[in-house]
Amino acid sequence: MALSWRSWLANEGSKHLFLFFWLSLNVWLFGKTFLLYNQGLQYYYLHQMLGLGLCISRASASVLNLNCCLVLLPMCRVLLAFLRGSQKVASKKTRRLLDKSKTFHVTCGVTICIFSVLHVAAHLVNALNFSENYNEEFVTLNAANYRGEDPRKLLFATIPGLTGVIMVLVLFLMCTASTYAIRVSNYDIFWYTHNLFFVFYMLLMLHVSGGVLKYQTNLEEHPPGCFNPNKTLRQNLTVPKALGELFPDYTTEPFPEDPPVPEPFAQNSFTRVCSEEPKFQSHFPETWFWISGPLCLYCVERLYRYIRSNKPVTITSVISHPSNVLEVRMVKDDFEARPGQYVILHCPRVSALESHPFTLTMCPTDTKATFGVHLKVVGDWTERFRDLLLLHSNQDTEILPIFQQRRYPNDGWKCYKLRRLYFIWVCRDIESFRWFADLLCMLHNKLWQENRPDYINIQLYLSQTDGIQKIIGEKYQALNSRLLIGRPRWKLLFDDIAKCNRRKTIGVFCCGPNKISKILHKLSNSSNSYGTRFEYNKESFS
Amino acid sequence: MGQIEWAMWANEQALAAGLILLTGGIVAVAGQFKGWYFAAYSIAAGVLVCLLEYPRSKRKKGSTMERCGQKYLTAVVKLLGPLTRNYYIRAILHAALAVPAGFLLSTILGTVCLGIASGIYLLAAVRGEEWRPIEQKPRERPQGGGTMKAPPSNPPPRPPPDARRKQPELGGQVNPIPVEVE
Repeated sequence: MALSWRSWLANEGSKHLFLFFWLSLNVWLFGKTFLLYNQGLQYYYLHQMLGLGLCISRASASVLNLNCCLVLLPMCRVLLAFLRGSQKVASKKTRRLLDKSKTFHVTCGVTICIFSVLHVAAHLVNALNFSENYNEEFVTLNAANYRGEDPRKLLFATIPGLTGVIMVLVLFLMCTASTYAIRVSNYDIFWYTHNLFFVFYMLLMLHVSGGVLKYQTNLEEHPPGCFNPNKTLRQNLTVPKALGELFPDYTTEPFPEDPPVPEPFAQNSFTRVCSEEPKFQSHFPETWFWISGPLCLYCVERLYRYIRSNKPVTITSVISHPSNVLEVRMVKDDFEARPGQYVILHCPRVSALESHPFTLTMCPTDTKATFGVHLKVVGDWTERFRDLLLLHSNQDTEILPIFQQRRYPNDGWKCYKLRRLYFIWVCRDIESFRWFADLLCMLHNKLWQENRPDYINIQLYLSQTDGIQKIIGEKYQALNSRLLIGRPRWKLLFDDIAKCNRRKTIGVFCCGPNKISKILHKLSNSSNSYGTRFEYNKESFS
Repeated sequence: MGQIEWAMWANEQALAAGLILLTGGIVAVAGQFKGWYFAAYSIAAGVLVCLLEYPRSKRKKGSTMERCGQKYLTAVVKLLGPLTRNYYIRAILHAALAVPAGFLLSTILGTVCLGIASGIYLLAAVRGEEWRPIEQKPRERPQGGGTMKAPPSNPPPRPPPDARRKQPELGGQVNPIPVEVE
């Protein structure tokens, strides 16, 4: 399948542009910090002690600062939903970019892991160097107390060291519990370990307050490498290379690779004499500036979600569908939702801690406040929920037969940009179609009455033919004629739809397993001879 | 919470810890740090842990995602029987393997991570979990016996099956009305 550049740009363009921008920011930060510590005069003596380890650890720390700041932002779901839903703020491209927020969160998380490894490795080397290259001349610069101090003491008995070690362990727990296999099979482990992020951030605040790495404050009075007449020339006196090149006669020893001293300083320091000893000071922890904003924002959001979720919800009806599916209809004060959004159900009687997301299958409208979800009973929480609901069925809920609760479709045709809808539904079991059979038939009838029979194009596919003898029933005549056996042939479907809608833009919305999603994504990016463009969107929970 | 399978998480942790041990060991041996014998040990321990933990166990309920190419190692791990099936033994093994690597700075992280994995395996063992190999399902051949009938042996026009059953096969066309050649 040939790639269509227009489609590819529409589907992948803004995503890749954003990623490119983020990557450039990371590279720039890394490079800038690396060079600062490599060449900056205020770090001259520190760099002499620690070498490359200093530059790498600080550069990776700045990348970590950026990513620890960014990683929280895509998780402010209420804020993002507000931005996405607000018509004044977001264009379609921005909305589709906001849909990718979870992927961006994962990208930042992986970056944090990788650069943490780099940061830890570099600091291990720093610990060794602090111990071996103990500087007797400038004692305040040292992190060790004496030459040859056990580096493990530096790691475990200092605040930055200890907090760093615990942070690595927390990161290890969070990382191993976030793999796809664990999320799919034991979501609880993922959720509870991921909430350790708060511990991680608190430790991070402490970690940077240690102030182990210092910079020199009095560069004017004591340019690094300046000549100190009071001190005798010792064997290991190193002369900056720049000076040595200018005046080769005055140097007797080969000099090691030093950070280059810029020209003005070189001349000044050779002619100048140190007027005072270098003074060192710890940095102000800039990480606090990076992470306090997003952390506060996220905490406010969690608090808001908690307060909002404290208002109870009344279940108005429970309908039992075939294939172990339950439809639950509820009402709640001041609840607004739009099609495509999901809610998270929390039932303390079933489980005090667990809560589960479900896509809304019925949204509240201006005239009717009921909203509903369909849930399939697959795990222990849904089983207990169903038992609870059916147990309480006599008390405050009613199980109404499907027909009576009819008030589909939602009132009034608002002016949508949607011109036509192709609804393709693939199921394994023929009974599954009953979940929405009524809704689909009613919709079909209503459109027929309003003389728009081609507005919705329903195609039902049955991928396994075991129970084919169980026909869905005479009252669903409209669906029986639209039932096809076997899996859909996506390429032909796309060609067909493209041919009937030339030069239009078609939104593809996929909710299903990854295999189908990959095929649809590829087809949406490929070219067709009718000039039709497909924009691909997908929904995933895990 | 009741149905969490802790062993799966312990497996991910142990695999990650094995890789950390391996990396730390390689770095220390390459840099010829003091006490690099511990690093050499840690490389060996890391490789052993990775090989042991690579095949994922089968879940109690639902389908399990296999790791790429794990069936070869599954066969090997299965051979060891109860030594690998029992999680108590795995917990003790990991705890024991972790200790010597704790004496070197570059591998100490691997020790702690493997120690945590060992603890979670102990929890899994207490809850009665076991390692079960993921077997390859035999390819289902289409059942030819019952539903598929043999193709007809006589050319058309063919009488209906009832008529065919009542009259014995004479190996050819049987005319219901005798045809007289004129």
